[in-house]
Amino acid sequence: MASSRRTTALLAGLTLPILIAAGSAHAAAGDSDNQRAERWGEIKQQIFGDAKIQSGGKAVKIDAPKRADDASLVPITLTVPDKDNVAELSLIIDDNPTPYAAHVVFGPAADPSELKLRVRVNNYTDVHAVAKMKDGTFQEATEYVKASGGCSAPMGMSDEEAMQGMGDMRMKFGERQPGKPVQATLMIRHPNFSGMQMNQVTRDYTPARYIQKITVSYGEKSVFTMDGDISISANPVINFGYLPDGAGPMKVTATDNQGGHWEKSFPVRSASN
Amino acid sequence: MRPVLRLPIVTAAAVFLTAAAPADSPVGVREPDGYWQGALHGYTPQTLAGATVVDAGEVAKLIQEHKPVLLDVSEIDRKPAGLPPGGLWFPIHRNIPGSTWLPASGEGELDAAAQDALKARVADLTGGDLERPIVTYCHPDCWGSWNLGKRLVALGYRNVHWFPQGIEGWQDGHDTAVSRPDARWAARPKSTVGQ
Repeated sequence: MASSRRTTALLAGLTLPILIAAGSAHAAAGDSDNQRAERWGEIKQQIFGDAKIQSGGKAVKIDAPKRADDASLVPITLTVPDKDNVAELSLIIDDNPTPYAAHVVFGPAADPSELKLRVRVNNYTDVHAVAKMKDGTFQEATEYVKASGGCSAPMGMSDEEAMQGMGDMRMKFGERQPGKPVQATLMIRHPNFSGMQMNQVTRDYTPARYIQKITVSYGEKSVFTMDGDISISANPVINFGYLPDGAGPMKVTATDNQGGHWEKSFPVRSASN
Repeated sequence: MRPVLRLPIVTAAAVFLTAAAPADSPVGVREPDGYWQGALHGYTPQTLAGATVVDAGEVAKLIQEHKPVLLDVSEIDRKPAGLPPGGLWFPIHRNIPGSTWLPASGEGELDAAAQDALKARVADLTGGDLERPIVTYCHPDCWGSWNLGKRLVALGYRNVHWFPQGIEGWQDGHDTAVSRPDARWAARPKSTVGQ
């Protein structure tokens, strides 16, 4: 057992989903782009039905590395300049086998101007963010990301090790100023197994075990709820903004697809002046 | 207790040793005598006896000048158990435009029916021309394309090219196209497949 564990850890070295090579950018308009547009059309239909989604607007912007260092940990930042009018955000990684990575519904205690999370990217792909506005309309943004192999990349440790402390949560609070939104970072210990990760020695697939729902509230008010799936990286880290109205506390619940349920309450110190 | 290892100890040890080397290790992985029977993902040799090893630029040149038969050996995404009912499982595969996708044709062992089907399919794609250039590929560190290349050499093809960098090496500078598993290969008799 000990030796197989060590082997697994060493094997992680050869499965690092990193691909760095010189090359040209995403090719100009052609068959490839048409196929990507067609793909997005099919995904949109499945998620949003016949809803009309406006592109080219400024409701939401995606920041992602053009070329990711680690395809299993690709940082994505969604910026919402028009924060008062956005109700929900969806993040879609077009070429992942499960493209619908996250769906975030903001509550009254949210400051939606910036949301950051880390995702797995299976192949060079368009990434889409769709904002649902409070008036019921939709706007989309897109970004092309070069990363490959993120969904099947093993964690570099045994499953048992990866699950140690599962459900532990930490919260870091940014600078607090009276009357201003605060940025916070939620970290949840959880392997978020994709079900596509193979133990290279036993050749068994680790069953999918991932966080399905996260709720964050401040005092009595919701900050956000997020539905996630196997495209969210192991040990999820989510940066978000909230309105520190009242004394808190910040309460987080997380549930996974195998019945795991965790809760934690974080006391919030009031602003220093 | 951990499940018993399915691989023979020797194979596991070989995987262990090769894994300890860095990605572009000067420590060469030796060509196995037969087809590689271990995990398909792992460090591969730098050579394939009887075939030519090519990079993306050489593949592009081959495509331009010789219209090779392009064979993609990538595995099909396997749907994990435990996804939410009604959730969106919607895999897609992109490879070198014009390729024929033959998933599982690079397994260490093919049963007799699969061997026959492969032989017939490749004969069809090459028009029975043993001199026709063929390129086999999948992903980096993938033994499947190595095994298929070796199979083609054994079938008598004299212009086999193995492209170890695979789809990742290609897509960095070239367009890809959406691909579906080859219908005729997928329709092969599968009496003994399904292990």
